Amino acid sequence: MNSRNSAAEEQDLLCAVALNAMLPLANERTLQSAYYILRGRKANQTLQDVHLYTLYPYYRMFSRFPREDWEKIVSTLFQAGWILPVDAGGTNSKPTFTFSDTGLQHAKHMYQKYRFDVWFAPFTQSDLAERIEPFWSRLHLMVQTISQMHHGDLGFIPVVSDKTAQRSVKNQLADGAMRTAWKQQLSDELYRLWEPLDEGVQELLFCQLSGVGQVGKTLGQVAEIRQTSRSYLMLQFRYGLAASIQTLLAESNHYPLLSKLVTESHKLDPRLTESAARTYALLQTGSDKKEIAKKRQMKESTIEDHLVEIALRCPEWDMTTYLPNELAKEIVETSERLDTSRLRLIKDQSEATVTYLQIRLALARATRGAK
Amino acid sequence: MNQQLMHDRLKLHFGYDSFRPGQESIIERVLSGRSVLGLLATGGGKSVTYQLPAMLLPGLTVVVSPLISLMVDQVQQLRARKKIPATYLNSMQDPTESREILKGLAEGAFKLLYISPEKLQQPYVQQVLKRTRVSLIAIDEAHCISQWGHDFRTDYLRLPQVVKQLGAPPVLAVTATATATVREEICSLFSIEKEDVVLQSLNRANIAYDLVEVAEEIDRRSYVIDQMDRLQGPGIVYCSTRQAVDVLTASYQLDGKKRVHGYHGGMNSMERMLIQSQFLAGELDVIIATNAFGMGIDKPDIRYVIHYQMPASLEAYAQEIGRIGRDGKPGYALLLFSWDDWQIHQHMLEKEYPTQAQVQKYEQLCNTGVPLTNEALAMVDISEEMGALLAFYTERVLASYEAAAVGESYPKAQIIWQETEKRRSFKQKKLAEMVSYVRGENCLRASINTYFKENDHQFDLYCCKKCGLTTDAYFQTNDHTIAKNEQIKWNLRQALDTLLPNK
Ligand SMILES: [Zn+2]
Repeated sequence: MNSRNSAAEEQDLLCAVALNAMLPLANERTLQSAYYILRGRKANQTLQDVHLYTLYPYYRMFSRFPREDWEKIVSTLFQAGWILPVDAGGTNSKPTFTFSDTGLQHAKHMYQKYRFDVWFAPFTQSDLAERIEPFWSRLHLMVQTISQMHHGDLGFIPVVSDKTAQRSVKNQLADGAMRTAWKQQLSDELYRLWEPLDEGVQELLFCQLSGVGQVGKTLGQVAEIRQTSRSYLMLQFRYGLAASIQTLLAESNHYPLLSKLVTESHKLDPRLTESAARTYALLQTGSDKKEIAKKRQMKESTIEDHLVEIALRCPEWDMTTYLPNELAKEIVETSERLDTSRLRLIKDQSEATVTYLQIRLALARATRGAK
Repeated sequence: MNQQLMHDRLKLHFGYDSFRPGQESIIERVLSGRSVLGLLATGGGKSVTYQLPAMLLPGLTVVVSPLISLMVDQVQQLRARKKIPATYLNSMQDPTESREILKGLAEGAFKLLYISPEKLQQPYVQQVLKRTRVSLIAIDEAHCISQWGHDFRTDYLRLPQVVKQLGAPPVLAVTATATATVREEICSLFSIEKEDVVLQSLNRANIAYDLVEVAEEIDRRSYVIDQMDRLQGPGIVYCSTRQAVDVLTASYQLDGKKRVHGYHGGMNSMERMLIQSQFLAGELDVIIATNAFGMGIDKPDIRYVIHYQMPASLEAYAQEIGRIGRDGKPGYALLLFSWDDWQIHQHMLEKEYPTQAQVQKYEQLCNTGVPLTNEALAMVDISEEMGALLAFYTERVLASYEAAAVGESYPKAQIIWQETEKRRSFKQKKLAEMVSYVRGENCLRASINTYFKENDHQFDLYCCKKCGLTTDAYFQTNDHTIAKNEQIKWNLRQALDTLLPNK
């Protein structure tokens, strides 16, 4: 087998992923929505689709999926007659697609051929996709740092240039006792964590790490060595990390060190953009928007944008300080009566004391509830 | 300043026993508070000339650098290896991060700040710096400020004004490539005296210059692949486009013998970092790259650089082959060229600069008062890049004319177009010089050195294609093919014990 075969396998695998991601979306959504899910778009519609159709394993699977490649896959699927276009009209306001019988069979066949049931198993909730990347950055950097410490050489260039990961690892190692613990137990915890995984996955995770005497391989290099498709390795890599994260979350007491690399992300809510997540963390400590604006040296209007984002993505947030429940109901009713979401129109029809922020919050929550 | 102290610091922070040519006289001048222009060959240790003063001067040293990746690398190296409190500011950071850094600067936590030119224009950054004591402003890649430099950057042009605003501390302008015209312009912009221009010999005696004309793309590829197999590495192959990098890498990997990887700006940052680290660690023999690769990497044993296509200027060419043989051992520079290369550059030039009609449309758009968003520009067929270029020239023309003739009308669009034409013909000239280099009959070393006003033409092993050279001398002698992917039985415990030896 050579690179030419790998390219064919790559195409085959991508078709398999695309077909299975599209399966629940058929007759209801556009083809684009599957693309947005695979790319991991942070738009609300995409996040809602992921929940609604439980497409957790697919979310953000290929965050750099070029549109041309996607178009190529789609046209392959049409040409093979696996999917058929459905025009807009009737109950559909947008064009959608449907599966042929052979398409259904093929999707099922590919699902088994590529063992998707194995690789997708750990993806049981939506925030995993968001956790994978930061977890991998921290783990990679931690392993590199500890490896260098063991060799008494701290003059190294970190492979991970992400500032947040660097800060987090630095914090972990700031204390002398913690440093000793990491040095002594990292290897053992990693062994216990990865030992239950498929050997191929163990090696895949390990050979991408860097440290003394080893520079991590890129996924492309591993694909070349194993003569397989890069995207198929990507699936297995994500599986390995998602399974690791699940274990660390469930058994944090057995992994006192490594679980710190996962739980830290709780501080910043992964459902939100980083800046909004910082605002949310401050809200939870009891600060109000004025204080937050002052603390963060930002405009109050920026903080208000964050509040709207939080209202939309975090249903548990109690926003009654900013919007009493009664008023929320009134605003939503006004919006429905006028059949509009335009803030200006709603404001004109509301009492003079109602602010734009209140209208935006009310509508954000209502959208969320309507899902 | 005490000479012994300079040498001690050199040993302490950089691990060198002695200065390289030019470094010491630049540093001495800087420490005595003079503004200096330092011309050092690529790999001649430009960064030491401002990093060392940063440790000895009382206040902050600000380094203006156009390359974000270079900034990150250098700061990491400084912190890790040299224990120098350094940081950087650029437009890629999020506001929280910038604020933290600015706070640190105000508190005096850093001795060295790398900053991008556009970030330095921001008023709040200038405010913080004004309150901090700035002892030195170092301008890396200083040739970018000159309109007559090959990588002229509009955001560099405002630097003299910024220097004034920061209380006019001494300036150290450093560059590896600058013709006499460029040197003069830099000196006049920063008020650098003639005696404070420090030049180091630009002749690279250990490099042999080779040149091959190719007719067909297929010949070019097979020739380069063959050379990659034979030449003693490590080496770099430069291509003009990302696509060319991908194609050459893929075709080499089909049956080439060496460990090779592509590198360009389209890859993610961790991947690029891994490839670079592998190359530095000797785990890769050849990097096939666009010009995004190489700035700031410190690898003294690069044995050859191949230019798969002809570069757009002699300056760019000199910079890229300058990475060969910094250890002083023999190195080999091979340049391939064809008529197509010239046409591709020509085409890119046409696309980069506006036609008269485009300038007119831009003018009209400005007069309507519509905000100049990318969409608005696209409506009149002007790309984002060209929009930026036009905005820059418009501002300049306005500034120079409105001051002179208040209220009088003048053919603004015409003048702007003439300005951009000047720039285009300048680049055209650079390209013509490159072409005349590849088509010339004379000694290549002499041609390139003369271009940079260097009279020293000595060489170690071979001079160049025209003077006669044997490529064999640069081939690898022992045919050690690297055992690709040897199969060892996988064992997680063993693997972890090697990487994290738990003693
Ligand atoms: Zn010669």
